[in-house]
Amino acid sequence: MKLNLSKEWLTKRAEQEENAEVSAGVFNLQMLETDQAKHEHALAAQAAQAETENSRLAFGRLINLWRRKKKLRMDELAEKADIDMGELVAIEHDIHYTPEPRTVYQLAKMVGLSVESMLQLSGNSVVRDSMLGHEAVRFAARSESVEKLSKDEQRALEEFVKFLNEK
Amino acid sequence: MSERSLVHIKDRRTGMLVEATLIDGVTREDVELAEGQWDPYLQKELARLQSEGVPRNQWPQHAHWNWRDKQKAVEGVLAYRMFGIEHSSEIQGLMLCVTAGKTGRIESQKGKPLVYVHFLAAAPWNLGSMSREPRFSLVGTVLITVAIQLSLDEEFDGRIGLHSLRQADEWYEKACGMTNLGSDPSAHDLKYFEMTPEQASKFLK
Repeated sequence: MKLNLSKEWLTKRAEQEENAEVSAGVFNLQMLETDQAKHEHALAAQAAQAETENSRLAFGRLINLWRRKKKLRMDELAEKADIDMGELVAIEHDIHYTPEPRTVYQLAKMVGLSVESMLQLSGNSVVRDSMLGHEAVRFAARSESVEKLSKDEQRALEEFVKFLNEK
Repeated sequence: MSERSLVHIKDRRTGMLVEATLIDGVTREDVELAEGQWDPYLQKELARLQSEGVPRNQWPQHAHWNWRDKQKAVEGVLAYRMFGIEHSSEIQGLMLCVTAGKTGRIESQKGKPLVYVHFLAAAPWNLGSMSREPRFSLVGTVLITVAIQLSLDEEFDGRIGLHSLRQADEWYEKACGMTNLGSDPSAHDLKYFEMTPEQASKFLK
Protein backbone atom coordinates (compact mmCIF):
# COMPACT_ATOMS: atom_id res chain seq x y z
CA MET A 1 0.00 0.00 0.00
CA LYS A 2 1.32 3.41 -0.93
CA LEU A 3 0.29 6.54 0.97
CA ASN A 4 0.85 9.95 -0.54
CA LEU A 5 0.95 12.26 2.46
CA SER A 6 2.63 15.64 2.20
CA LYS A 7 5.07 16.80 4.86
CA GLU A 8 2.83 19.80 5.49
CA TRP A 9 -0.16 17.53 6.14
CA LEU A 10 1.89 15.25 8.38
CA THR A 11 3.24 18.17 10.41
CA LYS A 12 -0.27 19.52 10.98
CA ARG A 13 -1.59 16.08 11.94
CA ALA A 14 1.39 15.35 14.23
CA GLU A 15 0.49 18.31 16.43
CA GLN A 16 -3.07 17.02 16.82
CA GLU A 17 -1.83 13.60 17.88
CA GLU A 18 0.83 14.75 20.32
CA ASN A 19 -1.31 14.96 23.43
CA ALA A 20 -3.78 12.31 22.44
CA GLU A 21 -4.26 8.60 22.96
CA VAL A 22 -5.10 6.69 19.80
CA SER A 23 -6.02 3.19 20.95
CA ALA A 24 -9.08 1.47 19.57
CA GLY A 25 -10.56 -1.98 19.85
CA VAL A 26 -12.41 -4.38 22.04
CA PHE A 27 -10.59 -6.16 24.84
CA ASN A 28 -11.14 -9.81 24.06
CA LEU A 29 -11.07 -12.15 21.12
CA GLN A 30 -14.73 -13.07 21.42
CA MET A 31 -15.92 -10.44 18.94
CA LEU A 32 -13.13 -11.31 16.54
CA GLU A 33 -14.09 -14.97 16.62
CA THR A 34 -17.79 -14.14 16.18
CA ASP A 35 -16.92 -12.00 13.16
CA GLN A 36 -14.78 -14.76 11.73
CA ALA A 37 -17.60 -17.29 12.12
CA LYS A 38 -20.00 -14.83 10.46
CA HIS A 39 -17.56 -14.29 7.61
CA GLU A 40 -17.10 -18.03 7.06
CA HIS A 41 -20.87 -18.51 7.20
CA ALA A 42 -21.31 -15.74 4.59
CA LEU A 43 -18.70 -17.37 2.32
CA ALA A 44 -20.43 -20.75 2.63
CA ALA A 45 -23.79 -19.12 1.84
CA GLN A 46 -22.22 -17.40 -1.19
CA ALA A 47 -20.83 -20.71 -2.45
CA ALA A 48 -24.20 -22.43 -1.96
CA GLN A 49 -25.94 -19.56 -3.77
CA ALA A 50 -23.49 -19.83 -6.69
CA GLU A 51 -24.11 -23.59 -6.89
CA THR A 52 -27.88 -23.09 -6.91
CA GLU A 53 -27.58 -20.42 -9.62
CA ASN A 54 -25.42 -22.74 -11.75
CA SER A 55 -28.05 -25.46 -11.39
CA ARG A 56 -30.90 -23.10 -12.27
CA LEU A 57 -28.95 -21.84 -15.27
CA ALA A 58 -28.54 -25.45 -16.46
CA PHE A 59 -32.23 -26.13 -15.79
CA GLY A 60 -33.29 -23.10 -17.82
CA ARG A 61 -30.93 -23.99 -20.67
CA LEU A 62 -32.10 -27.59 -20.66
CA ILE A 63 -35.73 -26.55 -21.04
CA ASN A 64 -34.82 -23.91 -23.62
CA LEU A 65 -32.76 -26.28 -25.76
CA TRP A 66 -35.25 -29.14 -25.48
CA ARG A 67 -38.11 -26.80 -26.48
CA ARG A 68 -36.18 -25.51 -29.49
CA LYS A 69 -35.14 -29.01 -30.51
CA LYS A 70 -38.83 -29.92 -30.54
CA LYS A 71 -39.50 -26.68 -32.46
CA LEU A 72 -42.00 -25.51 -29.88
CA ARG A 73 -42.78 -21.90 -29.08
CA MET A 74 -42.99 -20.98 -25.41
CA ASP A 75 -46.77 -20.72 -25.45
CA GLU A 76 -47.01 -24.12 -27.10
CA LEU A 77 -44.80 -25.81 -24.52
CA ALA A 78 -46.66 -24.04 -21.68
CA GLU A 79 -49.94 -25.31 -23.04
CA LYS A 80 -48.72 -28.88 -23.63
CA ALA A 81 -47.16 -29.08 -20.15
CA ASP A 82 -50.11 -27.28 -18.54
CA ILE A 83 -47.96 -24.67 -16.87
CA ASP A 84 -48.05 -20.90 -16.70
CA MET A 85 -46.22 -19.24 -19.60
CA GLY A 86 -44.84 -16.50 -17.34
CA GLU A 87 -43.23 -19.19 -15.28
CA LEU A 88 -41.68 -20.78 -18.35
CA VAL A 89 -40.23 -17.42 -19.39
CA ALA A 90 -38.75 -16.99 -15.89
CA ILE A 91 -37.31 -20.53 -15.95
CA GLU A 92 -35.51 -19.89 -19.24
CA HIS A 93 -34.30 -16.39 -18.45
CA ASP A 94 -33.98 -15.79 -14.69
CA ILE A 95 -31.38 -17.76 -12.72
CA HIS A 96 -32.79 -16.35 -9.47
CA TYR A 97 -36.23 -17.79 -10.12
CA THR A 98 -37.29 -20.96 -8.32
CA PRO A 99 -40.21 -22.57 -10.18
CA GLU A 100 -43.09 -24.27 -8.37
CA PRO A 101 -42.49 -28.00 -7.74
CA ARG A 102 -45.64 -28.78 -9.77
CA THR A 103 -44.22 -26.93 -12.77
CA VAL A 104 -40.96 -28.87 -12.47
CA TYR A 105 -42.92 -32.12 -12.23
CA GLN A 106 -44.91 -31.27 -15.38
CA LEU A 107 -41.75 -30.31 -17.30
CA ALA A 108 -39.90 -33.45 -16.14
CA LYS A 109 -42.79 -35.56 -17.44
CA MET A 110 -42.72 -33.65 -20.73
CA VAL A 111 -38.95 -33.95 -21.22
CA GLY A 112 -38.96 -37.52 -19.91
CA LEU A 113 -36.41 -37.05 -17.14
CA SER A 114 -36.38 -37.92 -13.43
CA VAL A 115 -38.38 -35.55 -11.26
CA GLU A 116 -35.75 -35.74 -8.50
CA SER A 117 -32.91 -34.53 -10.75
CA MET A 118 -35.11 -31.79 -12.16
CA LEU A 119 -36.11 -30.64 -8.66
CA GLN A 120 -32.43 -30.44 -7.72
CA LEU A 121 -31.52 -28.57 -10.91
CA SER A 122 -34.35 -26.10 -10.50
CA GLY A 123 -33.28 -25.17 -6.98
CA ASN A 124 -36.25 -26.84 -5.28
CA SER A 125 -34.03 -29.26 -3.42
CA VAL A 126 -30.36 -29.33 -2.45
CA VAL A 127 -27.98 -30.71 -5.06
CA ARG A 128 -26.75 -33.78 -3.22
CA ASP A 129 -25.00 -35.32 -6.19
CA SER A 130 -21.71 -33.52 -6.84
CA MET A 131 -21.54 -35.06 -10.33
CA LEU A 132 -24.91 -33.51 -11.15
CA GLY A 133 -23.62 -30.09 -10.06
CA HIS A 134 -20.48 -30.56 -12.15
CA GLU A 135 -22.35 -31.75 -15.22
CA ALA A 136 -24.89 -28.94 -14.87
CA VAL A 137 -22.12 -26.32 -14.93
CA ARG A 138 -20.46 -28.03 -17.91
CA PHE A 139 -23.75 -28.15 -19.76
CA ALA A 140 -24.61 -24.51 -19.00
CA ALA A 141 -21.18 -23.43 -20.19
CA ARG A 142 -21.50 -25.31 -23.47
CA SER A 143 -25.00 -24.14 -24.35
CA GLU A 144 -25.97 -20.65 -25.35
CA SER A 145 -29.37 -19.15 -25.76
CA VAL A 146 -29.51 -18.51 -29.52
CA GLU A 147 -32.39 -18.88 -31.88
CA LYS A 148 -31.16 -21.89 -33.80
CA LEU A 149 -29.84 -24.94 -32.03
CA SER A 150 -26.20 -25.33 -33.07
CA LYS A 151 -24.56 -28.72 -33.50
CA ASP A 152 -22.58 -28.14 -30.33
CA GLU A 153 -25.74 -27.25 -28.41
CA GLN A 154 -27.48 -30.27 -29.83
CA ARG A 155 -24.58 -32.45 -28.66
CA ALA A 156 -24.50 -30.74 -25.23
CA LEU A 157 -28.22 -31.29 -24.81
CA GLU A 158 -28.00 -34.94 -25.84
CA GLU A 159 -25.08 -35.65 -23.52
CA PHE A 160 -26.74 -33.92 -20.56
CA VAL A 161 -30.04 -35.71 -21.13
CA LYS A 162 -28.09 -38.99 -21.38
CA PHE A 163 -26.31 -38.22 -18.11
CA LEU A 164 -29.62 -37.41 -16.37
CA ASN A 165 -31.20 -40.57 -17.75
CA GLU A 166 -28.35 -42.76 -16.48
CA LYS A 167 -28.67 -41.44 -12.89
CA MET B 1 2.04 -12.09 2.19
CA SER B 2 3.82 -9.15 3.74
CA GLU B 3 4.59 -5.94 1.86
CA ARG B 4 6.61 -3.02 3.11
CA SER B 5 6.50 0.61 2.05
CA LEU B 6 7.78 3.98 3.19
CA VAL B 7 5.83 6.26 5.55
CA HIS B 8 6.80 9.09 7.88
CA ILE B 9 6.29 9.54 11.61
CA LYS B 10 7.46 12.39 13.82
CA ASP B 11 10.35 12.05 16.25
CA ARG B 12 9.13 14.16 19.16
CA ARG B 13 12.62 14.58 20.59
CA THR B 14 13.96 16.29 17.47
CA GLY B 15 10.65 17.55 16.04
CA MET B 16 11.62 16.07 12.67
CA LEU B 17 9.74 13.72 10.40
CA VAL B 18 11.59 10.42 10.10
CA GLU B 19 11.25 7.56 7.65
CA ALA B 20 9.47 4.46 8.88
CA THR B 21 8.25 1.24 7.30
CA LEU B 22 4.59 0.43 6.86
CA ILE B 23 4.10 -3.33 7.14
CA ASP B 24 1.08 -4.56 5.20
CA GLY B 25 0.61 -8.13 6.39
CA VAL B 26 2.16 -8.27 9.84
CA THR B 27 3.81 -11.66 10.37
CA ARG B 28 4.09 -13.77 13.50
CA GLU B 29 7.73 -12.66 13.75
CA ASP B 30 6.67 -8.99 13.66
CA VAL B 31 4.17 -9.60 16.47
CA GLU B 32 6.74 -11.47 18.53
CA LEU B 33 9.15 -8.60 17.98
CA ALA B 34 6.51 -6.11 19.15
CA GLU B 35 5.61 -8.13 22.22
CA GLY B 36 9.26 -8.64 23.08
CA GLN B 37 9.72 -4.87 22.98
CA TRP B 38 6.38 -3.66 24.34
CA ASP B 39 5.92 -6.06 27.26
CA PRO B 40 9.06 -5.22 29.27
CA TYR B 41 8.36 -1.51 28.75
CA LEU B 42 4.73 -1.95 29.80
CA GLN B 43 5.63 -3.95 32.90
CA LYS B 44 8.19 -1.37 33.98
CA GLU B 45 5.85 1.56 33.36
CA LEU B 46 2.87 -0.13 35.03
CA ALA B 47 5.05 -0.75 38.09
CA ARG B 48 5.97 2.92 38.03
CA LEU B 49 2.33 4.01 37.70
CA GLN B 50 1.42 1.78 40.63
CA SER B 51 4.25 3.01 42.83
CA GLU B 52 3.31 6.61 42.04
CA GLY B 53 -0.30 5.90 43.00
CA VAL B 54 -1.72 6.75 39.56
CA PRO B 55 -5.35 5.56 39.56
CA ARG B 56 -5.97 2.48 37.44
CA ASN B 57 -8.51 4.29 35.28
CA GLN B 58 -5.68 6.47 34.03
CA TRP B 59 -3.52 3.54 32.96
CA PRO B 60 -3.35 2.95 29.22
CA GLN B 61 -6.19 0.68 28.25
CA HIS B 62 -4.40 -1.61 25.84
CA ALA B 63 -1.89 -2.72 28.47
CA HIS B 64 -3.12 -6.31 28.48
CA TRP B 65 -3.86 -6.88 24.81
CA ASN B 66 -2.46 -10.10 23.50
CA TRP B 67 -1.40 -9.37 19.95
CA ARG B 68 0.04 -12.82 19.33
CA ASP B 69 -3.39 -14.42 19.88
CA LYS B 70 -4.99 -11.88 17.57
CA GLN B 71 -2.47 -12.47 14.82
CA LYS B 72 -2.83 -16.25 15.19
CA ALA B 73 -6.64 -16.02 15.14
CA VAL B 74 -6.71 -14.22 11.80
CA GLU B 75 -3.65 -15.68 10.07
CA GLY B 76 -4.57 -16.77 6.54
CA VAL B 77 -8.07 -15.22 6.65
CA LEU B 78 -8.21 -12.91 3.63
CA ALA B 79 -10.78 -10.52 5.10
CA TYR B 80 -8.42 -9.59 7.93
CA ARG B 81 -5.53 -7.24 7.31
CA MET B 82 -2.93 -6.51 9.93
CA PHE B 83 -0.66 -3.50 9.58
CA GLY B 84 2.32 -2.27 11.55
CA ILE B 85 4.75 0.62 11.57
CA GLU B 86 8.43 -0.09 12.15
CA HIS B 87 11.19 2.38 12.89
CA SER B 88 14.69 1.72 14.26
CA SER B 89 13.94 -2.03 14.33
CA GLU B 90 11.08 -1.37 16.73
CA ILE B 91 7.38 -1.83 16.12
CA GLN B 92 5.82 1.60 16.73
CA GLY B 93 2.19 0.63 16.25
CA LEU B 94 -0.15 -2.15 15.15
CA MET B 95 -3.62 -2.24 13.62
CA LEU B 96 -5.98 -5.05 12.67
CA CYS B 97 -8.79 -4.39 10.16
CA VAL B 98 -11.56 -6.50 8.69
CA THR B 99 -12.89 -5.83 5.19
CA ALA B 100 -15.96 -8.08 5.20
CA GLY B 101 -19.24 -8.27 7.05
CA LYS B 102 -19.34 -4.75 8.50
CA THR B 103 -21.67 -2.03 7.31
CA GLY B 104 -22.36 1.57 8.21
CA ARG B 105 -24.47 2.51 11.23
CA ILE B 106 -24.88 6.22 10.46
CA GLU B 107 -28.37 6.67 9.01
CA SER B 108 -27.11 7.85 5.60
CA GLN B 109 -24.54 5.02 5.44
CA LYS B 110 -26.71 2.13 6.63
CA GLY B 111 -26.06 -1.12 4.78
CA LYS B 112 -23.00 0.28 3.00
CA PRO B 113 -19.77 -1.68 3.54
CA LEU B 114 -16.94 -0.30 5.61
CA VAL B 115 -13.53 -1.27 6.92
CA TYR B 116 -13.80 -2.02 10.62
CA VAL B 117 -10.71 -1.35 12.72
CA HIS B 118 -10.68 -4.19 15.23
CA PHE B 119 -7.64 -3.01 17.14
CA LEU B 120 -5.27 -0.11 16.91
CA ALA B 121 -2.44 0.59 19.32
CA ALA B 122 0.73 2.63 19.47
CA ALA B 123 3.83 1.29 21.21
CA PRO B 124 3.79 2.15 24.93
CA TRP B 125 6.78 4.52 24.61
CA ASN B 126 4.68 6.64 22.23
CA LEU B 127 1.84 7.11 24.72
CA GLY B 128 1.59 10.15 26.94
CA SER B 129 -0.10 8.04 29.60
CA MET B 130 2.85 5.61 29.72
CA SER B 131 5.88 7.66 28.99
CA ARG B 132 7.07 10.97 30.42
CA GLU B 133 8.68 11.70 27.07
CA PRO B 134 6.70 10.05 24.30
CA ARG B 135 9.03 9.29 21.38
CA PHE B 136 6.99 9.31 18.17
CA SER B 137 3.72 10.83 17.06
CA LEU B 138 1.73 10.25 13.84
CA VAL B 139 1.57 6.49 14.46
CA GLY B 140 -2.21 6.64 15.01
CA THR B 141 -2.68 9.13 12.17
CA VAL B 142 -0.78 6.98 9.68
CA LEU B 143 -2.65 3.83 10.75
CA ILE B 144 -6.05 5.54 10.42
CA THR B 145 -4.96 6.82 6.99
CA VAL B 146 -4.08 3.23 6.09
CA ALA B 147 -7.57 2.10 7.16
CA ILE B 148 -9.13 4.83 4.97
CA GLN B 149 -6.88 3.89 2.03
CA LEU B 150 -7.84 0.23 2.49
CA SER B 151 -11.50 1.28 2.42
CA LEU B 152 -10.89 3.23 -0.81
CA ASP B 153 -9.03 0.26 -2.33
CA GLU B 154 -11.97 -1.99 -1.43
CA GLU B 155 -14.32 0.57 -3.08
CA PHE B 156 -15.95 1.35 0.27
CA ASP B 157 -15.41 5.08 -0.45
CA GLY B 158 -13.29 5.66 2.66
CA ARG B 159 -15.91 4.44 5.15
CA ILE B 160 -14.36 3.09 8.37
CA GLY B 161 -15.68 2.22 11.82
CA LEU B 162 -14.10 1.44 15.19
CA HIS B 163 -14.69 1.23 18.92
CA SER B 164 -12.49 3.77 20.63
CA LEU B 165 -10.90 3.23 24.01
CA ARG B 166 -12.12 5.88 26.42
CA GLN B 167 -8.90 7.91 26.50
CA ALA B 168 -8.92 8.17 22.70
CA ASP B 169 -12.53 9.29 22.21
CA GLU B 170 -11.58 12.93 21.78
CA TRP B 171 -8.92 12.22 19.18
CA TYR B 172 -11.26 10.20 17.00
CA GLU B 173 -14.01 12.78 17.28
CA LYS B 174 -12.07 16.01 17.01
CA ALA B 175 -8.81 15.25 15.22
CA CYS B 176 -10.15 12.54 12.90
CA GLY B 177 -13.58 14.14 12.49
CA MET B 178 -15.44 10.86 12.95
CA THR B 179 -19.06 10.65 14.06
CA ASN B 180 -19.54 9.52 17.65
CA LEU B 181 -22.48 7.12 17.75
CA GLY B 182 -22.28 6.65 21.51
CA SER B 183 -21.68 3.70 23.81
CA ASP B 184 -22.13 0.26 22.32
CA PRO B 185 -23.40 -2.33 24.83
CA SER B 186 -22.21 -5.12 22.53
CA ALA B 187 -18.63 -3.87 22.79
CA HIS B 188 -18.10 -3.33 26.52
CA ASP B 189 -19.83 0.04 26.27
CA LEU B 190 -16.97 1.48 24.25
CA LYS B 191 -17.98 4.36 22.04
CA TYR B 192 -18.49 3.52 18.40
CA PHE B 193 -17.10 5.96 15.84
CA GLU B 194 -17.68 5.99 12.13
CA MET B 195 -16.16 7.94 9.25
CA THR B 196 -18.30 8.75 6.22
CA PRO B 197 -16.82 9.18 2.72
CA GLU B 198 -17.13 12.96 3.16
CA GLN B 199 -15.33 12.85 6.53
CA ALA B 200 -12.62 10.62 5.04
CA SER B 201 -12.09 13.07 2.21
CA LYS B 202 -11.88 15.96 4.70
CA PHE B 203 -9.43 14.03 6.90
CA LEU B 204 -7.09 13.42 3.97
CA LYS B 205 -7.06 17.10 2.91
